[in-house]
Amino acid sequence: MFDWLLDVYNYRVVADYASTFAFGIWRTVWISTVSLLAALVLGTGIALMRRSRRRLARWPATVYVEALRGTPLLVQIYLVYYGLPEIPLLGRRLDELEGGVLALSVHTAAYMAEIIRAGIGSVPEGQAEGARSVGMTRWQTLRYVVLPQAFANATPPIIGQTAVLIKDSSLLSIIAVFETMSAGLRLMSDRYMPNEAFLTSAACFLAIYAVMLGVSNFAQRRLGGAT
Amino acid sequence: MLDALQQHMPFLLAGLWMTVQVTLLGICFGTLFGTLVGIARALGPRPAFWILGAYIHLWRGTPFLCQIYIVYFVLPQTGIAWLQFDSFQASVVALTIYSSSYIAEIVRAAINAVPRGQVEGARSVGMTSGQTLRYVIAPQALRMVLPPLGGVYVIMVKVTAVLSVIGTTELVRQANLVIQRDPANIMPIFLVVAGLYFVFCYPMLLLTQWAERRYGGLHLEA
Repeated sequence: MFDWLLDVYNYRVVADYASTFAFGIWRTVWISTVSLLAALVLGTGIALMRRSRRRLARWPATVYVEALRGTPLLVQIYLVYYGLPEIPLLGRRLDELEGGVLALSVHTAAYMAEIIRAGIGSVPEGQAEGARSVGMTRWQTLRYVVLPQAFANATPPIIGQTAVLIKDSSLLSIIAVFETMSAGLRLMSDRYMPNEAFLTSAACFLAIYAVMLGVSNFAQRRLGGAT
Repeated sequence: MLDALQQHMPFLLAGLWMTVQVTLLGICFGTLFGTLVGIARALGPRPAFWILGAYIHLWRGTPFLCQIYIVYFVLPQTGIAWLQFDSFQASVVALTIYSSSYIAEIVRAAINAVPRGQVEGARSVGMTSGQTLRYVIAPQALRMVLPPLGGVYVIMVKVTAVLSVIGTTELVRQANLVIQRDPANIMPIFLVVAGLYFVFCYPMLLLTQWAERRYGGLHLEA
């Protein structure tokens, strides 16, 4: 009954590769999570530098953001992948996975910095002034008053950027990091079955995307549609 | 090293020229196609809204890399003659589809941002729906569309780097070929490549920021 389907999309072969794709998805989730956390920390630092009154802090942060937003991620991945091994670090070379995560984090941090900067800008001046006038230090004001509100306001675009990050992580397959796209490429190189290979990878990414849409809707509701 | 770079430069510039060509074709077709989809989704009947919405989610939910592989490897499997793309055609098709999914949502949001009363007013003074679109909606929507459209164009320049995987001889592919001949200078070569992309992208980025200050941002649903 499903003979016609087997010609177009041989799900039996795909079933043989189920564990390969499952491992690919797990790797994609792992890579994205680590890169997201690193990008948020780095991005917050850069956002604060860009808002600093000191030009010496503002200037490098601006160059960082513009340089990373003005060049393709793939080129950045190559630069980190080929470039870092030449720099002595830890007494050994970074492997593909470490280099890939590093490149993704550094790249995403530039976008996160802009989102967080806008988030900080959306917190009314009076909040910080009030905190300062009740005797909070500048650090306390930032930590307890400004940043929590900034992150609440920035959550929807941060989730959107995370969806982009997940899709971007597929580029790591080009430097031989194993993830969801690589799972499809392995099926392709083993059996030369483009439909099964690439449509299955696409379906995996769509499943992850659907989860992200759910998270996004949940966050929008929880935050009362604050954007 | 500078001598070597000077020797490689013609190849890299040829790659940049290919990047420019592919990008411009993708921008033209993508804008045209995306605008049609966006108009159909904003003003068309309900079923069109849902079907085109599914189309948009399908392309937004998958990485561009995956889309290239699908256009280049999966579409020819259908056996349909005009889907047998060479790598250049596949590149333009993939870019067109990719950008259209973003542009369609921008156009739809801009049309929806034109107050309803404007349309009702135009219709009540006797304009046809075509005239309303042409003389009332389009001029207002066009301004709102410009800043986010510029953002999509910048993204398009950058994603063309990925087209190297199907052998389109654009900038990154040329760089990879140059590196095979001269593996000692990987870093300088890729720094030059990054510089070339930056020279292409940064003016567009500045123009986008200028348009955003001039015309204001458009609120897009995530």
